Amino acid sequence: MNRKVCIVGGATTPFDYGPTGFENIEGGAAECVKETQRDIPEFSLRDIDLMIYSHFSVHFGHQLAPEWIIHDHLGLVGIPHYRVENGGNTGGSALYAAALAVMSGHHDVVGVIGWETMDSVSQSQGSEFIAMASDIRYELLVGGIYPIYYAAMANKWMHENRVTEEDVATIAVKNRNNAMDNPKAQWYRNEHRYITVDDVMNSRLISYPIKKYDCCLMSRGVAFLLVCSEEYAKKVNPDGYVTIDGMGLSSCTIRAGDRLNFPGWIERYGPGYPDMTEFAACRNAAEQAYKMADIEDPLREIDFGEIHDAFSTSEAQIYTALGLADKNNIAQFIRDERTHMHGDIPMNPGGGLMGYGHPVGATGIMSAIECFYQLSGMIPKKHLSRKTEVPDAECGIVNSHAGTGTSISNFIMRRH
Amino acid sequence: MGETEVLTTKKKKKFAYEPVFTEKKEYRPENVREVGFVFVGHEISEDGNVMNQFLHYDQLYTIRHGQNSRFFKGLLDGKILGTRCPRCGDTWVPVRTHCWNMDCNLQKTEWVEMPLKARVHTWTVAGWSGRSSLKRLPIILVYGVIEGSKVAIANELKNVKPWDVEFNMPLKIVFKPPEERIGAIIDFHFEPEDGWEPSPMNKEKERIKKLVEPVYEWVKTLK
Repeated sequence: MNRKVCIVGGATTPFDYGPTGFENIEGGAAECVKETQRDIPEFSLRDIDLMIYSHFSVHFGHQLAPEWIIHDHLGLVGIPHYRVENGGNTGGSALYAAALAVMSGHHDVVGVIGWETMDSVSQSQGSEFIAMASDIRYELLVGGIYPIYYAAMANKWMHENRVTEEDVATIAVKNRNNAMDNPKAQWYRNEHRYITVDDVMNSRLISYPIKKYDCCLMSRGVAFLLVCSEEYAKKVNPDGYVTIDGMGLSSCTIRAGDRLNFPGWIERYGPGYPDMTEFAACRNAAEQAYKMADIEDPLREIDFGEIHDAFSTSEAQIYTALGLADKNNIAQFIRDERTHMHGDIPMNPGGGLMGYGHPVGATGIMSAIECFYQLSGMIPKKHLSRKTEVPDAECGIVNSHAGTGTSISNFIMRRH
Repeated sequence: MGETEVLTTKKKKKFAYEPVFTEKKEYRPENVREVGFVFVGHEISEDGNVMNQFLHYDQLYTIRHGQNSRFFKGLLDGKILGTRCPRCGDTWVPVRTHCWNMDCNLQKTEWVEMPLKARVHTWTVAGWSGRSSLKRLPIILVYGVIEGSKVAIANELKNVKPWDVEFNMPLKIVFKPPEERIGAIIDFHFEPEDGWEPSPMNKEKERIKKLVEPVYEWVKTLK
């Protein structure tokens, strides 16, 4: 019998870019741990029996094995540690590793620390570094960076699903405006304004149909999450702990063009899927997580989500991959604002990657932390108001997403 | 002393295949050089609390194409070489040296010359890119399926207005002149097939035109 996996606390540094983001990574990690201790004073660093570090690119950090610097800064010598790297799904994959460690019974209290320092190079150099996770022999050289690959995928998806630029712009508006209630969010701390669909439509072209405000933010940030057994959870946070009831991790091709006829997908879902338009790994990972958490109707049983809105278009594509809508009703699903705070399944109340920010290794951890805050009733304490609290939330989904949909994880979390 | 065996270092015979590289080309621009770690400056905030340092680090990589070499060498000759599984017949560009079909159990594939014809599977018009590509903007990037291939390959589409691209439009593969080729994917690009005519302007085309026009102006301002 597998053990239950719980989350008892976590915190991020403020997410920033450039001059306002001056935390060094080990100092930022220490501040995240201290904030968690203020929330759950019973938690001591001495309780940790495994550390998992979540970091994407050493290109940004100009330091190999930077997790070793953080680990010894925290005084954790002798405690086992390793780093997980899995593109944009690094955070989700680190959480997956932490959950497996607890589930197995081999570890009881696992700390997960994620970070990225993307402002150590220019924006265009940063885009190029990230794009080195695409196949550089075939894709990077022809001028490709991720927004361009995603735009090509979204363009076909939008045509086939009759979703418009204005439709996806509402998602960009929603997440940025949610971030205006979150003092740690990069959008709140920097641009700091409410935006409209017109602002998105008039922002500069990145790659048709994606404009600047359809894109997430490049960020500097650190995040810490505490994953543990139920026994430990009852000890340090008996009233506020959250359980990971379901999880799934799946994979797809590195080059998006390779998934038109991939035998592995044809075997699972039949010919013609996922094409270059659907996130098959997201669907597959969701099916695993739903099965584990006994979810039959995700739209009814899940109250909200923190999902990987690298682009407004990809958040929309994720709705269908998660089974919340299908080809026939996705456009209407978006237009009905089902995922806004006043909708029946709010998505990214914390601001998401477009509002909170996307320091790659920290991102999935940040999403899990926001989900934990919602389920444990901590939003009034962590956000500026109750505007971004999902009332009576019992069940949330966390989604983390890499490459062109190359690795995707989904987690179902519930208030215990 | 005479009984002690003297150890000498001889050039060892290698037991691995060691290619002898006879065709070497150097086309390094003058300003490209590896300099290792160099601190090039620093800054300190007015209140004295924060310091940033500027570190430059550059290096030369060798991309060893190994079993994929024939594809990249083919580009130098103006050819697109794909691979095909002799068991199931699936054919790919980008190439796979072993079949993707589990039933074929990593069957070694064979090389086949592909026709220089493709179709647009999907497309986008980029107005922003990585540092190395900014001056080439706007770029029309298409995923084209080369005739006979099971997959789509990304490359630039030229010789067409950005707002005139269409799904499924027929393409030809056009190579750079032989002296400009470097054995990389940028040795070729896509162009509309001869005789293809764009459809008349419509609402979406007008929208793309409006989005792209400022990009032409912006690129002119880049140094």
